[in-house]
Amino acid sequence: MLPPAFLFAIDLSPTSAMRQAPLTVVFTALVLAVPAFAQIDLSGEWAGTFHEDLQHRGGVRLGDYTGLPLNEAGWRKGQSWDEDARATLERQCIPHVATYAMRGPATIRFIKVIDPVSGELQAYRLDGSYGRPRTIWMDGRAHPSDLAPHTWAGFSTGTWERNTLVVSTTHIKTGWLLRNGAPTSDLATMREYFTRYDDYLVLATFIDDPVYLDEPFIRTTNFVLSLTTEANAWGNCGPAQIIDELGGRAKGSVPHYLPGQTDHIKEFATKSGVPVEAARGGAATTYPEYMAKLQSGNLDNRLFPEPAPGKSLPRVVSPQSSEPSDVVVLPVQENVYLLAGAGGNMAVQIGPDGVLLVDTGAGKVTDKVISAIRKLSDKPIRFILNTNADLDHMGGNERLAAAGSLSGGGRASDTPRPGALVIAHEAVLKAVSAPTGKQSAMPFGAWPTEGYPGDYKEVFFDGEAIQLFHQPAAHTDGDSLVFFRRSDVIVTGDIFVTTSYPVIDVSRGGSINGVIAGLNHIIEITIPKDWQEGGTMVIPGHGRIADEADVVEYRDMVTIIRDRVQSMIKKGMTLDQVKAARPTLEYDPRYGSESGPWTTAMFIEAVYSGLSEKR
Amino acid sequence: MLVVAANAAAQAPPPKAPQTPRAAAPFDVTGNWVSVVTEDWRWRMLTPKKGDYTSVPLNPEGKKVADTWDPAKAASDGCKAYGAAGVMREPGRFRIAWEDDTTLRIDTDAGLQTRRLHFDKTSKPQPERTWQGHSLAEWEPILQRGGLGVSLQIAPPKVGALKVITTNLRAGYLRTNGVPYSENTVVTEYFDRLSAYGTDWLTVLTIVEDPRYLDQPFITSTHFKREPDGSKWMPRPCEARSAQSN
Repeated sequence: MLPPAFLFAIDLSPTSAMRQAPLTVVFTALVLAVPAFAQIDLSGEWAGTFHEDLQHRGGVRLGDYTGLPLNEAGWRKGQSWDEDARATLERQCIPHVATYAMRGPATIRFIKVIDPVSGELQAYRLDGSYGRPRTIWMDGRAHPSDLAPHTWAGFSTGTWERNTLVVSTTHIKTGWLLRNGAPTSDLATMREYFTRYDDYLVLATFIDDPVYLDEPFIRTTNFVLSLTTEANAWGNCGPAQIIDELGGRAKGSVPHYLPGQTDHIKEFATKSGVPVEAARGGAATTYPEYMAKLQSGNLDNRLFPEPAPGKSLPRVVSPQSSEPSDVVVLPVQENVYLLAGAGGNMAVQIGPDGVLLVDTGAGKVTDKVISAIRKLSDKPIRFILNTNADLDHMGGNERLAAAGSLSGGGRASDTPRPGALVIAHEAVLKAVSAPTGKQSAMPFGAWPTEGYPGDYKEVFFDGEAIQLFHQPAAHTDGDSLVFFRRSDVIVTGDIFVTTSYPVIDVSRGGSINGVIAGLNHIIEITIPKDWQEGGTMVIPGHGRIADEADVVEYRDMVTIIRDRVQSMIKKGMTLDQVKAARPTLEYDPRYGSESGPWTTAMFIEAVYSGLSEKR
Repeated sequence: MLVVAANAAAQAPPPKAPQTPRAAAPFDVTGNWVSVVTEDWRWRMLTPKKGDYTSVPLNPEGKKVADTWDPAKAASDGCKAYGAAGVMREPGRFRIAWEDDTTLRIDTDAGLQTRRLHFDKTSKPQPERTWQGHSLAEWEPILQRGGLGVSLQIAPPKVGALKVITTNLRAGYLRTNGVPYSENTVVTEYFDRLSAYGTDWLTVLTIVEDPRYLDQPFITSTHFKREPDGSKWMPRPCEARSAQSN
């Protein structure tokens, strides 16, 4: 209810006695609209206090996951983490990820961002604490698509609940809970509760990561309003500042500890007196009941408990790690768009010359694909570039090529049929065509009109150079990477995906080492803008838009699994023994599958056979 | 002439009878709560080693006292670690209920302690110092400061957390390994409630000020999850617990 207005009479007539006296004007107390929000001011510099959890914040021991509700995948991933990974070329510029940044030993700064026209609060900006600046949108906007890129800061929106600013953050990159390898996946989301008590600020943070945590993880962080310190100014960190800190390492080598090589975590247990079982964390260790177990001494203190043989850890189902249910188009960068939901991912380049497609989906919803392309451009489809011979990447070729038209300047005799030019590596043409008299895998109208030989092909279209790199023996023997040089976007086909383990078609020449070589090649091509983020954007064969940091995480995973299987083969283990040892265990909740066209077992078999056979 | 009518007095509603603290509670703090120990785990779930007062801002005298603690005699420490300055950091469960309209009662299963938070400001401490001292509570008003004496922003009055100030304490331990606080200690706490992922949580910001043993306020925040009932209540007397070895 609005309170009553206080209004006063002011006599301004020429005969007024008031005219003789200094004019004291009492203004009307205007009745203003109640703000749409009722908040406490959080703006200012807030210095962190470090009277608790100092050893997890100011420096942390390897293997110390006390208090973290890590599940088995979480602590195993942590134990395999080698801190040398932080010194690799691709990680030196990584700032603190949002799931950890507020724990950094630093001052933070809350700034109000006010709409210059309406004067209303549009957002808060949160700086400092060794993370990237965060924007907390207060204007009710929605979070981005599940296929949108992830960043270190994530995407945050806020609302007020009573006296607390509640912030929801999604789209966070793969990161950590502690700086000793305790992981968070890219499916983690975060909820933060900022509450001010006089000159103290308490932040209660919940991290929900179904891949690595038993239950949502809560921790509270305290700050005090500071009139003298300032939030950190970090300058910049980009590719120019990176140096080789691990001299002598082979290109693409990934530091990690093999299963069973866990002596490095012994030191924490030895020096702190914390039992090894408790050091692994887990939700059960955080409740008072666990004290009785500590008293009893009935603990599993093996440094490396063998994984239980049998089924792998269940896959976490998330829209962010699944195929979209309908066709969706997202801008990627400059002229290039992602078109997803038609099978494998497609890239669409638009410009004055026409439309160029990378891949064409499975061919089941081509009408929707055409309709989506027409919303971007009404110009003809001139080129189709195929990254591999899979049906979910070439299935729309026939109709989409027929819907297009020959590129201006070309000769009809250059192509066997009218419509757009379709280019792929010659191995793709061999895979989809057939000798005379035999049934081909695909109709003639879907075949590439040109199968380029060798390792490389160039195209120039819509004002930019486009490079096709043949990546041999990767997903198959006919894979191509497509790099849009001006738009700075690389389309990877199935060499890089965010939805599963890499599919390795051994029957068509695919191999694990070829996939790893392909991933390393992608990393060579990509250049991040700064802080190991942005710059060259990546469209995977399936899944969300990515950048170099995402490819690095995936490359590391595949390399680690390869190294593990290689190590087991050297010990003479059979395929069944390797499967029982579960070399993919901590990655299964994110990438594994027990059913469908590509299962975890099939992946391990492909890796095993590729490493076992003499080439 | 600029004329604007004054109508405040004519429209002011009659003053209401003040609500009791119980009726005025901006959020429900009652119920069963369990600590979820995700921070300072090895200083709370285990008895830390002697001389380990990591992150506690002890002054030289405080360190000297902490260094005299004898782990072999921990059993005789009794309830020193369960006083108001430390009890909320003890892993355990507690129940909060209104004892009457002006008193909130907190019972802990760890150490079997009872705290009474008095909203009645005329309430007097007991003559002798106790582990839980004397606590005065209020629903913290968040007042508009400055301005012309009337608020230009017509916003509803704000009430913040449950603020509690505790004095008249018996000297005790901030941690079970003898990290001391003196009887001069003042403990200020802010209890607040939030909901996340379908669960209610209670957060307690605790500021311990002890001019004798601390060189600055000792600030911690502790969180508790609501439980549907008291079926997991584990009453146990004040006790020494498993020690970190070595």
